[in-house]
Order: sequence, then structure tokens, then C-alpha cells
Amino acid sequence: MNASFRRIDWIARITFLEAVRQRFFAFLLVLGVAMVLSSVSFRVFDFGHGELKFIADFGFGGMFFFGSVLAVVMTAQLFFSEIDNKTALTLLAKPLSRWEFLFGKFAGAWAMLGVFVFVLAGLLGLVLWSRETELLALAEQTGRIPATFSLSGLAWYALLQWLRLGVVIAVVLSISALARTFLFAVVVGSLAVVAGQLQWIAQDAVLKPTDSPLYEAFLWLTTRLLPNLQQFNLGDALVLGSAGVPAGATGEVVLSGLLYVAAYLALGAVVFRRREI
Amino acid sequence: MSSAISVRRLTKDFHVGLRGVKLRAVDDLSLEVPRGQVYGLLGPNGCGKSTTLKVVLGLVSATSGEVSLLGEPYASPGARRRIGFLPEAPYFHKFLSGRELVRYCARLSGVVPSDLGSAVEKALALASMTTAADRPVGTYSKGMLQRIGFAQAVVHDPELVILDEPTAGVDPIGSAAIGDMIRAMRDKGKTIVLCSHLLGQVEQVCDRVAIMDRGKLVLEGRVEDVLARRDRHVLTVEALTPAARAAAEAALQSHGAVLTSVTHPRRSLEDLFRELVTGSRDA
Repeated sequence: MNASFRRIDWIARITFLEAVRQRFFAFLLVLGVAMVLSSVSFRVFDFGHGELKFIADFGFGGMFFFGSVLAVVMTAQLFFSEIDNKTALTLLAKPLSRWEFLFGKFAGAWAMLGVFVFVLAGLLGLVLWSRETELLALAEQTGRIPATFSLSGLAWYALLQWLRLGVVIAVVLSISALARTFLFAVVVGSLAVVAGQLQWIAQDAVLKPTDSPLYEAFLWLTTRLLPNLQQFNLGDALVLGSAGVPAGATGEVVLSGLLYVAAYLALGAVVFRRREI
Repeated sequence: MSSAISVRRLTKDFHVGLRGVKLRAVDDLSLEVPRGQVYGLLGPNGCGKSTTLKVVLGLVSATSGEVSLLGEPYASPGARRRIGFLPEAPYFHKFLSGRELVRYCARLSGVVPSDLGSAVEKALALASMTTAADRPVGTYSKGMLQRIGFAQAVVHDPELVILDEPTAGVDPIGSAAIGDMIRAMRDKGKTIVLCSHLLGQVEQVCDRVAIMDRGKLVLEGRVEDVLARRDRHVLTVEALTPAARAAAEAALQSHGAVLTSVTHPRRSLEDLFRELVTGSRDA
């Protein structure tokens, strides 16, 4: 088992190095950073919400959108570059199992997205802290209740987003293991992300009574097969304290995320095992 | 002792297109690759030799038939630990240096950390890549890519090395260097399978050859046996005058032999090229 971990570790390292050297990664990271920084300039257009919420929403949006694009496109690209360039031939002719290759790809891509999420979260924390300090001083002068944010909540939020992107990577890898082309993997992966964001609609529908057992079965299957990506969006509650997070809820989300990662990686490994390189 | 590679009645079909039309790439192929020899697998493009190698390496599955590698089932990690593979037109991560690439492949092949440094240096030296080992792979010429590919294939000291078109696109000097590496591996007792359609090189380095056409084996045997024409002989004579030739013809005729042609011996264009162009651009 140790030998397996070592091989996965080596595949992950090379995948990570390859990923962070790509211009696409740098481009989206710069866009995300620019989005977080620009939130300070745009805060006058806060539409009546608190300034900190406006800034936080910009950061959350950057992490969500650019993170999702990176997770879908880069994962498919990192997988297909090995197949199309035939580096997979060299690697898989070695005593490297296909599941080890797939898990290594997952770990490398997830590490790359870890850099992305935590850089943006760190920057967002800095911007929020800086503005919070100014608002606290202003509140002291005017006697109003100051707006605050939770740094530990932001750290939790970043972890949840990283896990959400981990689920997306696992889904895209399982699609890539089956797909013949990069484009197919990207298109179907993107649709899976959209479906995952809307999965809660199916979850709500399951709770309503229906006469059609077929429809019921469809909903049941959909809610099990598709991960609910919306459940990771606890930003407002965790960072700004807009609503209480029930005890254990975050743990449940983490557990659900990890289970989906494991399930989709296992599915990807089974599919990839049968693939002809 | 079992063969290095044993292929029995191997058939491989690919299903192409939406209707799944069957394309037979390898058709009822049987061959045995003995240990400690250089074995050439020849044939035109699309004859099924690369597919055969991919089946042997477990990269594609056989439709029917049996394959064993060094006495073990062909797709087992145990068998793959004992083989090295250089694919056709290898592509490696361009941002790695040659040394990093060989180190990476050594770790994946199970070389223990204590042996890693010496194994990497030995492989680089065997491939004559020590001086260029710290350059990024992206800056290598085609010949250097093949040589670094060779180094990554042999870094874990495999018993069997499979080379798929190792000299494709490489100039004669680089090609000769690869030939030398193959001979060096054979001298160490390794088995080498060389898949190529460069007949001259195969003739120079291989002990045995198998020729495939349209997925089938059409000829197999020792190189000298399959090439020799037992009913013809070559005499090389210096300072042959017309009178000497006439006398020789008469002498041969008196013994019932017939002189069928007199030509000047030729060296190969490759030999001439190597004689004239002594330095490698890659060195």
C-alpha cells in the first residue's frame, strides 16, 4: 500500500507542477485576484447590503466561478494531455495501476485548486479585515453597530469550496475516463456542474408526493447520483454570520463531499481500467 | 526457463465507427521471444506490430489468445516491474529536466530511494545523456528525446526492454548511438524487443526477427538463417584483371559451378555517412 501511495504522490507532484505552470491557471488566478481587489472599488454599488457582504460576495463569486472553470477545464486537460501526448503509454507500461494514475491526477489537480482557493481566500480575508478595521473606527465615531466578519468562518468556507471543487474534479475525471475527446469531457463536465448546482430542486421535489413511481424513481436516482454542489455555499452563514449554522451541519457537508469524491473516483477507476490506451 | 515473451494465438479486434465495424489488427499470432537476445518485430505501418506490443504491455486487451511476460501473466504489476518500454515518438513533460524525468520514472518503476541516485546516473550514462541531463526536456532534439526515453526505460534495470520505433525520425548518428545502447543491453544479458520498419538497423542489431503483415506472422527465425541464400556464394577478390577473371570462370566451370555476376562490393550509405560525419550535433 505504501508503494501505491508513493506512486500516487509522484503522479500528483508532476500533475501539480504541470498545472500551475499553465497560462490558463495563471490567467484565472489573476482574474480571481482582480475580482477580489476590485470589490473595494465597487463597494459603493452595494445595493443596500452591508459593505462587507458585498466584498465577500465578490470573493465568493470569484472562487465559485473561476474555480469551477479551472476544475472542469484543467482536469480534463491534464488527463487528455497524458493520453493524447502518449505520456500515459510510458507511465502505464510501468508497474503503475490505472487507479493509481487516476488518483494521482486527482490529487495533483486538487492541490492546484487548493492553491487557487486559499490564495483567493487569503486575499479576501485581507480585504475584509482592512475594511472591517475602517468600519469599526467609523462605528465608534457614529455610535452605530459595526459590521464584522469571521476569519475562522472564512477558513471553513475556503475548505468547503476546496472540497466542492474536489467533487467537481472527481466527476470530471470519471467522465474523462470514458470520454474520447477533451471537448466532450469539458462539455459534459460543465453540464454536470450546472446539474449539481441545481440538484437541490430534485431534492425538494422528492419530498413532495407524486403519483408516478417512474418520476419518483428518477428523482431518487438523480438525488443520489448527482452531488448537491449548492450545499457547500455556506459563505454568508459562516463568514458573515447571517444565519446560524446548525451543529454538525458543516461536518455533514464535508462527509457528503468526501463520499462523492470517493464514489466518483472509484467509478472513474473502474471505467479507466477497461479503457484501451 | 520460460521465454521472455510468449504469445499464443493472439487476436485483437478494434471496433470502429458508430456501427462498431470490426477491424482485425492482430490475427492469430503466435511467437516466442527467447531470453538474452535482440528480437526484431518488423512489418509495414498498420501491420499490427505496435498493437501486439500494447497487448503484451497490458495497454490494450486481447480479443482472444494468451500472452505471458517473463513467465508471468502479461498485465500483472510484477511482470511490468521487470520490463522497460520506450514508445514510438515519445513525448515527455517538457518542464522536467532529463535527470528529473529519469528520476520520476525510476520512482514509478519501484527503484528504492537508496539506489535512486546511482540508478539514474547509470541510465543517463548508458544513454550518453549525462552532460545534457540538467537541461529541460523541451530543449532536446529528436535524437536526445529518444535517448532520454531509452534512459527512462532502463533505469530500473529491467530484464526485458521493449523499444517501439526507437530510431524513427532520428539521424544516422543518433540511430547508431541507439544501436550501440541496444548492443550494450544485450551484452548485459537483457532481452530486447525492437519494433521497427528500418530494415537496415534491424539487420545490424537483431539476433532473431519476426515479420508481420496484415496482422499475421509471415516469417520468423534467426537473422542469418532468414537472410542467407544457401545456393549462392560471394567471393571478394582484389586486383581482378580480365585474364584472371577468365581463368577463374574456366576453373569454376570445370567444377560445374557458374559465375553469375561480377560486381564491386558496396558499403551502405549509412556506413559512408557515419564515416564522413563523425561528430554528433547532440553531443
